[in-house]
Amino acid sequence: MSAREFGEAWALSQLSPGIHLVALAGLIGRRAAGWRGVVAAVAGMMIPAAAITVALTAAYGVVAASPIARAALAGVAPVTGGMTIATAALLVRATARHSRAHVAIDIAVCLGFVVAAVFLGVPTIAAIGAGALIGALALGRERPTSRETSVG
Amino acid sequence: MDALALFGVFLKASALSLGGLSSLPLLRADLVAPGIATDDQVVQAIAIGRISTGPNGLYIVSLGYLVGGVVGATVALLAASLPPLIIVPITAVARRWLLATGVAGLVRGVALATAGLLVATGLSIVTATGSPSWWQLALAAIGTVATYRGAIHPAIVIAIGAVAGLALGR
Repeated sequence: MSAREFGEAWALSQLSPGIHLVALAGLIGRRAAGWRGVVAAVAGMMIPAAAITVALTAAYGVVAASPIARAALAGVAPVTGGMTIATAALLVRATARHSRAHVAIDIAVCLGFVVAAVFLGVPTIAAIGAGALIGALALGRERPTSRETSVG
Repeated sequence: MDALALFGVFLKASALSLGGLSSLPLLRADLVAPGIATDDQVVQAIAIGRISTGPNGLYIVSLGYLVGGVVGATVALLAASLPPLIIVPITAVARRWLLATGVAGLVRGVALATAGLLVATGLSIVTATGSPSWWQLALAAIGTVATYRGAIHPAIVIAIGAVAGLALGR
């Protein structure tokens, strides 16, 4: 696989639903060994990581009810809340467009959805649908910055 | 909740999200609101997903385990692994169409909407106790900045939260 092919696979994976790394593994696996390659690449990436995740969750479950774990959770919860907000900012940074006017529009659209979710109680699924519609109709000009910087 | 229904919830969240943690608002709407999972479990799952290896999106495997044991974790893993692969056959037949501006706009719109929903979800996790104290707000700010900059390993940031909780949370 050339650097150019990898760059294109990466750009395509960013368009996939769900976890982009799964899409990237699938595209690389298919290029390397067809459908069996897809299964091998995705299983190889996901199954060991999932097993470790389950083991950690089960280990935490042993102590979860203890007062010490509950006190720790009072500090971990706001940290994960902050991580979630940062994920949103990273998502905007990855998809927002280049020119100043476009960036302002993209951030305004995002803030509009914050208001819709926090103050107007718009259902999650309706917000995602509205985002898809608004995006397809009005936000298509200029490609995402990520594609421009991809390899090759 | 039986395994098939749980699979449906996880599959919907995975199929309608864009990248790692972005399935969180949908999962929270479908699991926490009806009382199948608690916010505490969601927080645990996010923290463990960050500490563990693999993509951040694997937090749903941890959440699946908390809600439905090994079966729950298995259906969560399947639900996380299948939707992204739709890109493989689509790429084979319609690569040019995928790289057209209309698709870019649709994906951008979904990403911006999801980002807005993630901010709302993050705020409601921070304020889940009703009135967060000053040190919890400080931890939220640290979690936000450290994750955005990406210079410190997430496990260390979570450990800082846990230590602060032990010191100040009782």
